[in-house]
Amino acid sequence: MCNTEQQWIAAAKTGDKDAFAKLVEKYQRPVYSVCYRMLGTPTAAEDAAQEAFIRAYQALDQYDISRSFATWVLSIASNYSIDQLRKKKVTILSMDNEKHAWLAPPDPGPSPEKAALQREKLGQIQSLLTDLNEVDRAAIILQYWHDYSYEEIADTLDLSSSAVKSRLFRARRLMAEKWQKMQLPSTAPVNSTAKRIAHETSTI
Amino acid sequence: MKHQQYETWILLGTELDLEQHRELQVHLKQCSQCQSLYQATHQIAHLFKTSPVPEPSPGFSTRCMTRIEKVETRKSQFILGMTLSVISLATLLLLSSVGLQIRAGMAQFPQLMLEMITLVAKWIVFLNQLSHIVSPLIRVSLKLISPIWLITLGFSLSGITIAWMIPFFKSRTIQRELHS
Ligand SMILES: [Zn+2]
Repeated sequence: MCNTEQQWIAAAKTGDKDAFAKLVEKYQRPVYSVCYRMLGTPTAAEDAAQEAFIRAYQALDQYDISRSFATWVLSIASNYSIDQLRKKKVTILSMDNEKHAWLAPPDPGPSPEKAALQREKLGQIQSLLTDLNEVDRAAIILQYWHDYSYEEIADTLDLSSSAVKSRLFRARRLMAEKWQKMQLPSTAPVNSTAKRIAHETSTI
Repeated sequence: MKHQQYETWILLGTELDLEQHRELQVHLKQCSQCQSLYQATHQIAHLFKTSPVPEPSPGFSTRCMTRIEKVETRKSQFILGMTLSVISLATLLLLSSVGLQIRAGMAQFPQLMLEMITLVAKWIVFLNQLSHIVSPLIRVSLKLISPIWLITLGFSLSGITIAWMIPFFKSRTIQRELHS
């Protein structure tokens, strides 16, 4: 953690909102991306990311300055998203329109072709993550996209390291099975990207 | 080694030494199940690593800070409301006790004035001390207890005070009737 960040935190702890705004500016991307991948829609992600920052602001008194601020705020965002998924389980599963929002890339790529590929990839990721339970999903997201170790995931999600291992094992198996099914000829729409990715990885 | 061990290596992405790596490669050639699991795991990792990073729409931090501002205002309004109700309750108690003293000592007016000033001074000191205790207490309890519970607590406190005041006023009326 850099010196300026420590100064921002110290100032925010005394109620300086401008200093906290700088922290929001700095960490909005990782926090938003965790929420987006957890909840699947830009609207839900925006709401959850804001809520995570509100909670962080209100709990600044309890924040231990020796800990990484990024880890702390990501843990608030992950746990809030888990709670939201638990509360809205039924709603999310039954809302088809919201599901399509996943497919909209936040920033369209330079070419329509690239944008289409990115949309397809996001759609693929969504269908892989949907089948996982909330906590397993958070563990997968933190491991793949934020390079968290077992210990860091355990710390963030309040689990033991061995529980994290068994959750990741189960989640990765589920995803692999789903992926294999997605590559079967019967699932034509998702088939093309899956094949392309299979081709991409085979050439690495 | 058992098939299960290779599955664990593949699924947990365990870091393998050279010997273990060679062993796994040999097994993958013999076992189609592990081979396809290995491929799927690698393809998923590739998909995840190459997918676009979701970004918040522009102006996120401004929207977030506006929301924080709103939440803070609502919180301070609530604290203000609670403080005012505590002060009104205290004033009510003060007035009722002053009223009692006036009735008891109508004959000794100078002493009464002195007593009243002392009483008011004592109340001011008391309220000042109370605010020192209450304000951090409110700050902490707001974080721990939901606002609904605090409102309920406020109402029940007022209820108790009113219930306590009613018999007092009743006894006053009875006294007055007896005198007349
Ligand atoms: Zn095998």
